[in-house]
Amino acid sequence: MTALEDYLRQLDTLAAEATSAFQSATTPEQLEEARVAYLGARQGKLKAIQKGMGQLERADRPEAGKKLNEVKRRIESAFQAAKEALGTAAAAPATRTRFDPTLPGDRPRLGHVHPITQTIEVLKEIMGRLGFSVAEGPEIEDEWHNFEALNIPAAHPARDPLENFYLATAERQADGPLLLRSQTSTVQIRVMEATPPPVRIISLGRVYRPDTADATHYPLFHQMEGLLVDRHVTMADLKSVLRMFATSYLGEDVHVRFRPSFFPFTEPSVEADFWWNDEWVEFGGAGMVDPHVLQAVGYDPEAVSGFAFGLGVERLCMRRHQITDIREFYRNDVRFLRQF
Amino acid sequence: MIVSWDWLHQYVDLPDSVEEVTQRLSMAGLNHESTTLKGSDIAVDLEVTSNRPDCLGHIGVAREIAVLYDRPLTLPPAEPHASGPPIETLTRVRIEAESACPRYTARVIQGVRVGPSPDWLAQRLETIGVAVINNIVDITNYVLFECGQPLHAFDFRKLAGPEIIVRTAREGETLVAIDHREYALSPEMCVIADAERPVALGGVMGGEATEVGNETVDLLIESAEFDPVSIRNTARKLNLHSPSSYRFERTVDPAGVDWASRRCCQLILEIAGGTLAQGSIDVGRPVPEPPRLVLRLSQIERILGIDVPRERVAEILRALGGSHLEATSETVSVTAPTWRRDWQREIDLIEEVARIHGYEEIPEDVRVPMAVSQPRKIDQVLPQVRHGLTAMGFDEALTASVVPQAWAEAFGGWSAGPPLRTETPLLRGADRLRLSLLPSLLDARRYNESLGNLDAELFETAFIYLPEADRPLPREQRTLGLVTHQGFARARGAIETILEMLRIEAPVATSDAKVSLFEPGRVLRWELDGRLLGYVGEISDTARREFGLRERVAAAEVSLELLEAMAQLIPHYTPPSPYPAIRRDLNLIVDESVRWGDVETTVRQTAGEWLESLAFQEVYRDPKKDGAGKKRLLFSMTFRSSERTLTGEEIDALRDRIVAACTQAHGAVLLA
Repeated sequence: MTALEDYLRQLDTLAAEATSAFQSATTPEQLEEARVAYLGARQGKLKAIQKGMGQLERADRPEAGKKLNEVKRRIESAFQAAKEALGTAAAAPATRTRFDPTLPGDRPRLGHVHPITQTIEVLKEIMGRLGFSVAEGPEIEDEWHNFEALNIPAAHPARDPLENFYLATAERQADGPLLLRSQTSTVQIRVMEATPPPVRIISLGRVYRPDTADATHYPLFHQMEGLLVDRHVTMADLKSVLRMFATSYLGEDVHVRFRPSFFPFTEPSVEADFWWNDEWVEFGGAGMVDPHVLQAVGYDPEAVSGFAFGLGVERLCMRRHQITDIREFYRNDVRFLRQF
Repeated sequence: MIVSWDWLHQYVDLPDSVEEVTQRLSMAGLNHESTTLKGSDIAVDLEVTSNRPDCLGHIGVAREIAVLYDRPLTLPPAEPHASGPPIETLTRVRIEAESACPRYTARVIQGVRVGPSPDWLAQRLETIGVAVINNIVDITNYVLFECGQPLHAFDFRKLAGPEIIVRTAREGETLVAIDHREYALSPEMCVIADAERPVALGGVMGGEATEVGNETVDLLIESAEFDPVSIRNTARKLNLHSPSSYRFERTVDPAGVDWASRRCCQLILEIAGGTLAQGSIDVGRPVPEPPRLVLRLSQIERILGIDVPRERVAEILRALGGSHLEATSETVSVTAPTWRRDWQREIDLIEEVARIHGYEEIPEDVRVPMAVSQPRKIDQVLPQVRHGLTAMGFDEALTASVVPQAWAEAFGGWSAGPPLRTETPLLRGADRLRLSLLPSLLDARRYNESLGNLDAELFETAFIYLPEADRPLPREQRTLGLVTHQGFARARGAIETILEMLRIEAPVATSDAKVSLFEPGRVLRWELDGRLLGYVGEISDTARREFGLRERVAAAEVSLELLEAMAQLIPHYTPPSPYPAIRRDLNLIVDESVRWGDVETTVRQTAGEWLESLAFQEVYRDPKKDGAGKKRLLFSMTFRSSERTLTGEEIDALRDRIVAACTQAHGAVLLA
């Protein structure tokens, strides 16, 4: 046998071996192993045999080269065929790989909106349908908007420095002290100062009170307040609006109860409860805007009247989702956030 | 306020059911907290709002019950028999601190027998949780919880000198109170003093040196009025809160001052014997005339939304203690009871009518006029931002607005000024109003890392507080911040996607910004419409160490105000071109120092309006073929005209011009 013949036979053998190896592969890993063994760019058997061509007579090389190319194509197409067979397991015999439709889907990870934001969006949406527009005001406030205009005089205990987060801005004392607002009622004042009646707004946002953080208290929380001032607005309007709100929020017809309470900026002042799931559930504080407040913003309390109500968003959100510790909202453990 | 059920019986005929009474009291303003059995008695805890100090005694609560059930209220007698010497011969009182103590009364009883209280009295005090001491002290406490007027009994013989002086404390004075603790007094505090020293902290607590003990024979009974703010400041400063200070902080009935004194003396004479000196000392301002108020019946309907008959209105006001009632067809006029200092205006009477008549009378189904609400732009922008970021896999965080100083100073990207400081820290060590959301978000990342949640990608939309030189209030800038462990491109792409969602043009980016928190050379500063939009970058190793982060983090922070201003919420339609697109890929070899952003600008400028899209593919380095310090930029361009079908030849020519421009501007070589 000439060297050429020998070389050509080696090529045929290699093609047969490779085809067999590819066909017997039952997993992509095995097929890849076989591919590296035969077609690998550095250690592959085809590469090795290609180098062997240098041993042949120069005159024999074109024929050997032609055969080499043909064998290379055969091996490559055998590889392609095996690869496709692996990919279409349904049509393949049992020994081949199978498509497994029970493998998990490729799910992009979705982020989650914070439960407080979700609750706020629900409140805004319901109140929006009831005709209340959203208003905002600064979180850093002066004493006029946080206290004076809200009928909270200087001697009132609520103004104690220990009950508030006053700013240490000594150089600004000329303008009066500033503080982190302790309620969103400040927004009511700012809106009424800037807008003649009628006013129909809700204000939402962060408020600050020096409470030690525990399961039910946090020095920072969110409030929603509603305000409606117009000619001839009554407590019956207040009760009816709260009932419509609750009916929408809770998804069924509910009843509202007022219990007398005390807030400086409303009179009469009440706590509003909803009858739901066979018990009275506390909603929040409410009342008729105090005439002093209307006067403070330049409204005539003989001409217009109004109601206001407020609630703590965290408390509502905790009840909505059975959350037992208010601090969870501000820890930002993603295992918490991803539950909502 | 805890009340004894047995005790209440003394003033009003109580209905049988405690539960029903507490329920009605709750609906009339005294919120029911709890009911507890105490031997044969029942203790009922009621929440009294700060405007109703009249209910800080059993008589006040009994009056509410009497009004609600339309039953008579029986007040106990307060007419002690005085058979001793005229009081002027025994003592004098001088008020120096008139603002802190507007009125002071005193009576003297001589020859009492101090001993244990009778059972009925001791049991009532035990029911409401007041310690039983001796008959004299117990009686003063009893009268306090009966009518709400605090009293104090001094051992008269232990008072030095002939005169009681109500004055402010002197620098360095101290007082050992009856709780056996010594208090350092300061000059704004009001004390009761004898000739030598303070003997009581006015309105807060008596002193140990003159307290009534078993050896006491003669008494001086103090009943006074103290200024609410002064009492509150003193009690708070000394952290000494007593039933007395609690009541004075909420004001007492000025007419009740003398009544309580007489009532106390009567009980002492009955229980402990002794002889009451004739007359009383009563110095300071007289009992002010209670206001005369007019309630227009039309205002009831205007505020409450219901009509209440005039007779019912008059009946309620009279039962609550209003006097000299006069009714016309349109009004009811009344003189306020002295114990109801909250009756100052017509609206106060409307509230009284409402709560006694019953809030259940107010309907919950009236027709409220419709109105349209007007959504603000930000209320449309924010949900889009949140939807976009959550779709990309970011979770929304909420973090505190007030942060430790180190955090506030960690990022100066928005303001070079120092952060504002709160007098009281919000949380431990956190007293600076934040100038960036990023430190808080990095801390939230750290917390998640510590829990093993290594995939926490967080964003927050909240305000930062930027001090401004000429304004008292800081500028509150609504800001979006985000952090990710998935690298710079992820953070940058997230913000760019949000910009695209809001149809905002690409911002102008500069890469030479030096801002703390970010690694130099790995940060972009964005401007939009000539204003600062924000930053994206990799958190520096130093900052990671400071925030205790193990993993590498990229972060971005942008102004939501600017996003809101630039957002185009309603898109304008452009007809899609009916002509085919032609795509060309380029592979340019450039120096390592050449930046994609610059190449991109050249490509766009050269390509003109036919360039529909330009997509960066990758950077590839092959030092063997291209030489050291070189890299390949691979990108695809799609061309399309809205007017006609482009030909391959003209696009090839355009591509050649683009390559030439890149060669000229950046030394780029087209990979053959």
